Amino acid sequence: MTTTPLPRTTGDCACPEFRGADLSRRGFLRGLGLAGATMTIGSAVVTVGPSAPAAAADASSVLVVLSMRGAADGLSLVVPHGDPVYYDARPRIAVAAERLVAKDGFFGLHPALSPLLPLWQQGKVAAVHATGLAVPNRSHFAAMEAVEDATPGSSERVGWLNRLIGDLPGTSPLQAVAVGSAPPALYGPQPWMGFDRLDEVGVAGDDKWDPTDDRLRSLGKMWQRSRSPLAPALRSAMAAVDEIGPAQAQQQRSSAFPKSDLGKALSSVSRTIRGDVGASVITVDQGDWDMHSDLGTLQWGRMQHNADDLARSIAAFFEDLGPAADRVTLVTVSEFGRRVVENNNYGLDHGWGNVMFLVGAGVRGGYHGTWAGLEAGNDADLTVTTDYRSVLSEVVRTRTPVSTATVFPHFSPERVGAMVGA
Amino acid sequence: MRRRKKKQNKKYRPARYAPTPVLGAADRHVVSRFSYGTTPELVREVQAAGGGVAWFEEQLTTAYADPAADARIGDWWPDLHLDAPTLWKRQEDEVRAVWEVMADYSRRLLVRRTISPHQVLERMTEFFEAHLHVPVNGDKQGIWRASYGDVIRRHALGRFDEMLVEAITHPSMLLFLDQAVSTKKAPNENLGRELLELHTVGVGNHTEGDVKASARILTGYRVDVWRSWAATYRSEDHWTGPVQVGDFSDPNTDPDGRDLVRRYLVHLAHRPETAQRLARKLAVKFVRDDPPQALVDRLARTYLQHDTAIVPVLRELVRSVEFKGSRGVKLRDPSEDLVATYRALGTTLKAPQRIEDAANAMLWQSTVIGLAPMTWPRPDGQPLDNQPWATPARALASMDIHWSLAGGWWPKTGVDYQQPTDWVPELPMQFAPLVDHLSRHILGRPSTRGILKAACTAVSVKPTEQITADHPLMRWHFNRLLGSFLDNPLHYGR
Repeated sequence: MTTTPLPRTTGDCACPEFRGADLSRRGFLRGLGLAGATMTIGSAVVTVGPSAPAAAADASSVLVVLSMRGAADGLSLVVPHGDPVYYDARPRIAVAAERLVAKDGFFGLHPALSPLLPLWQQGKVAAVHATGLAVPNRSHFAAMEAVEDATPGSSERVGWLNRLIGDLPGTSPLQAVAVGSAPPALYGPQPWMGFDRLDEVGVAGDDKWDPTDDRLRSLGKMWQRSRSPLAPALRSAMAAVDEIGPAQAQQQRSSAFPKSDLGKALSSVSRTIRGDVGASVITVDQGDWDMHSDLGTLQWGRMQHNADDLARSIAAFFEDLGPAADRVTLVTVSEFGRRVVENNNYGLDHGWGNVMFLVGAGVRGGYHGTWAGLEAGNDADLTVTTDYRSVLSEVVRTRTPVSTATVFPHFSPERVGAMVGA
Repeated sequence: MRRRKKKQNKKYRPARYAPTPVLGAADRHVVSRFSYGTTPELVREVQAAGGGVAWFEEQLTTAYADPAADARIGDWWPDLHLDAPTLWKRQEDEVRAVWEVMADYSRRLLVRRTISPHQVLERMTEFFEAHLHVPVNGDKQGIWRASYGDVIRRHALGRFDEMLVEAITHPSMLLFLDQAVSTKKAPNENLGRELLELHTVGVGNHTEGDVKASARILTGYRVDVWRSWAATYRSEDHWTGPVQVGDFSDPNTDPDGRDLVRRYLVHLAHRPETAQRLARKLAVKFVRDDPPQALVDRLARTYLQHDTAIVPVLRELVRSVEFKGSRGVKLRDPSEDLVATYRALGTTLKAPQRIEDAANAMLWQSTVIGLAPMTWPRPDGQPLDNQPWATPARALASMDIHWSLAGGWWPKTGVDYQQPTDWVPELPMQFAPLVDHLSRHILGRPSTRGILKAACTAVSVKPTEQITADHPLMRWHFNRLLGSFLDNPLHYGR
């Protein structure tokens, strides 16, 4: 978008009560954001503060949650080559054992994940297999909701990341940031910020032709006390725009980012982290994992394409972070896995268990999880042996000061061992 | 503090500019939910009809009166009339790719919503096209997608059972959800599952066994993918043998399963769970995000009593106390926001000549705000509730698009914008009555103290100030004034 420069009159404000604003611009904008934080909690004006920090988790640590939308096939990404049923079940789409990388006696990675090998060899990549919801849910939509709310039995729609940020110390309006489409895991009473393109974050009309901030103050008058369903988000956004400059000033350093949506998003995430704007939780997503058809082989199909995009994006991200990588833990989530047996269209129908990847700070590299053994038959699933919340709990406990009981109510996590100190 | 507030209250007393007509709150509510935004023409239409509900009835009566004339509205993209083999050949010959034709499809939807007098038909077409969602992105379904839209449009104010039969067996749907390549040896579950979960009875009302039987029932429909794109029925691909889905069962001995499919779909359309699901979705879209169960029950009963006819359900909805009590609780989604902005600004769209012309650019504008029509990537259709659109990114993006339209900066061509002199009903005039006139025009209601204050702040003008032809407002700042209306919370609601 281009805007035409407009000639301006002298900043002669006709309304005296607007002129002597005792609030600075930043204070004013932040105040709008705080209005959001308090007003959405209930009729009583309550400010929810952080509970006492638990362990000595580094306050500057960052959690990046990458959602693989559409239910990725974990058995193609982390192949159980030691389980003979795998090859029987997938005569056309199985990945041959000799083509796997980072292979041990039982598992190996899809060759398209090779860009992750340097991180893997440094012990910074963990793969936890056979994770998921405690009971199968083959509906994309219901499963996504269940995974992201992570409060079975509750009708309240509050995501686990929203509960997490509610208890994090710090007051930055950029504490939680969604790059690209916002996941329901962030929905809830706590304010958060989101954008598609980092460089375009700003309020239209808030420019050099408005030196007296008429535009912002006009918006403030309309939205400060508004009960519009959009009001909390709009106030959060306005509070965040003045803080994001240091992130926008960061250059992309790695030339290896794919041109994909995920590559672009992770490039923005890296700049946001390096800009030190107080971001603790950042979400990104990668779509198009719902491969009923054309999952394909190593030569063609959607799996090799998506896996390549995933691996190259993550590898470029950690390279681009530079020294900041020591503060960043990335975790992947997908709503469910796919069936063991391939269908007639080089694809896989909806299943159950899946793999989760953990990359970066605090990760104990290698393969984790409990393998129950695959079964054949058209309806066979990869049986879930590790509740996905146990994996996320380890990340929350080792990387944040927040109690896992707050983030995952009524849940007793089991030890997975995928994080150092867990 | 209190005294100061009192003084301000007096200062910002809104003026009235009575010559610009507005609807009463109840009529405005009907129109705001069942049109794509207020315009002076629409206000006149509603007044002539005798009120909001009367206008709604008139819309129902005239929706299908002249389908040929209706089809010509916004018919500015000739490629949408090409058949499947031609579209494919043109893609292979690198004349024009399918995704480009599908961009035209989304554009035509936006333009129809902006300019069509059949606003209720547009609304219900959008609703059912999202309910039986086939995204336009994707070459396979794109090849057949324009005719799929025509099917939905033809039934959007008709009967759901008839719509369902035509939609589920349409090549575009068969291609999107993998049914077109399913075989009896390994029935692909994708369409069979979403038919139950999304299109009819809903999650929790079917079993995994039902999904498998559903997939078997649907086998036989094929499309000659990547070649002729011809849709055929092949008995040799139809799975035979007894099938049961819920309380529907059939021996399924005939290798031609088409009659079975028709009976199965009609059965599903008449299920009480389907009635509940559709009634709830209609209530969420047109009443509120958390509709009372009593309303849903009444709508569902009406749907079943009228053999799945849609119009009686809408009539009941629009007359319900729940509807009347739901003002101001629904947020416009990205394309609704965009279309309402074009309408509120009194723009005139023209058939596009160049790629950057408004009727083409609208597509990118709605993408910037969050979503172009029918591009939701999942089979569940774009969300009907507020939350997914109530995000910080959307707020900033909407403001961006409003700002560029208020200034006439993007798009610059293929559209006539009103100029400041068009907006001002008389000159000179005081600022406060001008604000009231604009409020009536853009927001469809008289100005309030808050609207006046925001306008004064936006352009640093006092309520009593005289606006003349060479006032700074008229020369440089009119876009800022328009921006204060387009970014009013009221313009974001519907």
